Amino acid sequence: MDWTPFSFIVVNLARQIRAGEITFSGVNSTLPMLACLLAKQAYDFDFTYINVAGGVEPQPVTVPLSSSDPAIVHGSPAIFANQDFYDLCARGGLDLVYLGCAQIDAEGRTNVSAIGSWENPRVRLPGGGGAAVMLPTAKRVVTWRTDHSPRALVEKLDFVTAVGHMTALITPLAVFIREPVPGSRFRLESYHPATTIGHITSHTGFRFDATHAQPAIPMTAHEHTALVALDAGAKFSAAVNG
Amino acid sequence: MTLVAGLRAASYGIPFQPVAGVHGSELIRVNNWQLMRDPYGSGQEVYVIPAIRPDVAVIHAAEVDEDGNARVYGSPFWDHPLTRAAGRVLVTAEKLVATDRLREQPELTLVPGFMVEAVAIVPDGAWPGSMHPYYEIDYPAVERYMEDAPGVLERHLAEAPETARNTAATGR
Repeated sequence: MDWTPFSFIVVNLARQIRAGEITFSGVNSTLPMLACLLAKQAYDFDFTYINVAGGVEPQPVTVPLSSSDPAIVHGSPAIFANQDFYDLCARGGLDLVYLGCAQIDAEGRTNVSAIGSWENPRVRLPGGGGAAVMLPTAKRVVTWRTDHSPRALVEKLDFVTAVGHMTALITPLAVFIREPVPGSRFRLESYHPATTIGHITSHTGFRFDATHAQPAIPMTAHEHTALVALDAGAKFSAAVNG
Repeated sequence: MTLVAGLRAASYGIPFQPVAGVHGSELIRVNNWQLMRDPYGSGQEVYVIPAIRPDVAVIHAAEVDEDGNARVYGSPFWDHPLTRAAGRVLVTAEKLVATDRLREQPELTLVPGFMVEAVAIVPDGAWPGSMHPYYEIDYPAVERYMEDAPGVLERHLAEAPETARNTAATGR
């Protein structure tokens, strides 16, 4: 059960979930969607999973490619639509939210607005989709990148879209952790056993502490079984593993 | 969420709407959002978003009757704030149904007919997106549309269900 980029990201996203939490995954968040579904199967604790398509504790028959496909609502006993989950977050009721990023800095600030300047961007990005509200109001936020590059992991963002309670950054190589308080910087918590701290350092644009970094705990049999079932036919992993 | 705050302000009939979070974002600077201290003395400071009143909202419903009463199944996503904030509401729908059917479960009607200016019956009108519970996302069609090449847009438009029906009906 060697790690692949796909399994390293999804399993480490799932490992951020804690017992009893209310967890949310949004649009363009296929890997967090899979992480939440994996955690439901692989871990022996309860938590609540809400998704952007309005699903609450969904029981999808087939897992859709898009994390906002109504197929991911199947089996939900309730519809909790956009206004409801945003308001829940705003009043402090979401424990763990997965939010994407184009760029991220060492203090967990994200840019999903523009590469280059706002006024004259090289790339105009899709925008926050609520990130500026959710990052500071969710109790904890976790993000991910399918590449580990100094283009995305930067010392200084081109534009600050959102600031707040980022606690983890997962890449195909590394798990960075920070405390959700102002001024706290990411530290390397664990890494893909086939890579080195030196390699990660040379591919990361921000400086980080690696004093206590360890190779990642191997995938458990439960995690592996759940992931294989979710990724039947390599439906999801093909796009990440190349 | 700031977009929704603006739509809420319009639907509430007020000039702005406070919103949680946002502190530290450069979106404040580029949008010139204003900070307001709680006038009731809590000491909290919140950003206020100006009202956004769309001239027209267009939504796609599952079922609609001749009066424009529109029913949506599954998640309504943003249909509720959009239709309340907009100056005019247009509805496309999968099916035309009798009003008596809507009377059986009026709580499923998302927009009452008095708010709706015009209706069009467009089967498969959400294509290549999904319409719960009738059909799912047409992923291959989305992937074809994503290709950056000449003629992609024209082929996409020709493939749309309404265009295909039109072509079959008129021979053009």
